Amino acid sequence: MSGIETVKIIVEAEKKAAKILNDAQNKAWEIRKRLDSMVETEREGLLRSAKNQASTIVERAESEGKTEAQELEKNSQSAIRQIVTRATAQKGVAVERLVALIMGSEQ
Amino acid sequence: MSETSKFTEDILAVAKEKAQTIVAEAENETQKALQEAKTRLSREADDVIRNAKAEAEGVKRRHMSEVRHKVKLQEQLEKDRILTDVLQQTKKRIADVASDETRYFPYLASSIANAIRELGFEEVLVHLNAKDLKRIDRTKLEREVGKKLDKRVKVEWSKNPIEALGGAIISNADGKIRIVSTLDQKFEALGSKLLTGAGRTLFGNNA
Repeated sequence: MSGIETVKIIVEAEKKAAKILNDAQNKAWEIRKRLDSMVETEREGLLRSAKNQASTIVERAESEGKTEAQELEKNSQSAIRQIVTRATAQKGVAVERLVALIMGSEQ
Repeated sequence: MSETSKFTEDILAVAKEKAQTIVAEAENETQKALQEAKTRLSREADDVIRNAKAEAEGVKRRHMSEVRHKVKLQEQLEKDRILTDVLQQTKKRIADVASDETRYFPYLASSIANAIRELGFEEVLVHLNAKDLKRIDRTKLEREVGKKLDKRVKVEWSKNPIEALGGAIISNADGKIRIVSTLDQKFEALGSKLLTGAGRTLFGNNA
């Protein structure tokens, strides 16, 4: 093998090596480039799920809050009715006490 | 194998090894960055849930608070209605008592005597309403007042009737210094005391 042929073979090998490295760089770039879309996919998935969950939590609270409030209102109405019934029964006594208070203020 | 072949194989082997390292590094970096992004996104998602839970608590509190406010208002209106009714009935009842001379006469005598004592004059002018001017025995009343004061006081009875349920207005002779001791005035003056008293009788601990 002549010297020139040897150099040619080496140059060819260097070219192949450079291509291998270049391909590797391109592949690395592709891998890094994929990261952005992977993160975006991950973000969309996680946030969509979280937002759905959040929406369910608030809707459930709205419904539970209404039910609890209705229950409270029902109980309170019943308590008010009792207060009114008791007070109505005491009206006569109250009137007599007030009359005594006014008439007795000069004793 | 020739020297040249070995040399070129070495070149390619080094290049392949380096290429593997480049790709492996890129993959490692990407995995690490993805993991970090997942952790960060997971925190963001947790924040969304946490905020929703806080909002949910707020929603429930708002519903309860609205109802509490509504029923409190309703309770207050019911109580006010009953109290107003009791005060009106009391006024009516006082008018009834004022018509009953047996109960009213001692009250009127005490009322006039107390006012004279407070004024400290020996001579007073007493104003009554038209009904009392007509029906009350003023000589008897003056005697009763004198008994209560334990001294003689000259009482002059005004011919001009006052507008009142009962009671009297007592003044010095020229009418410049006077004490209003009408039932209406007592009603007004005792207003808050009446409300408190009625509230306690009607509503007890719920007043």
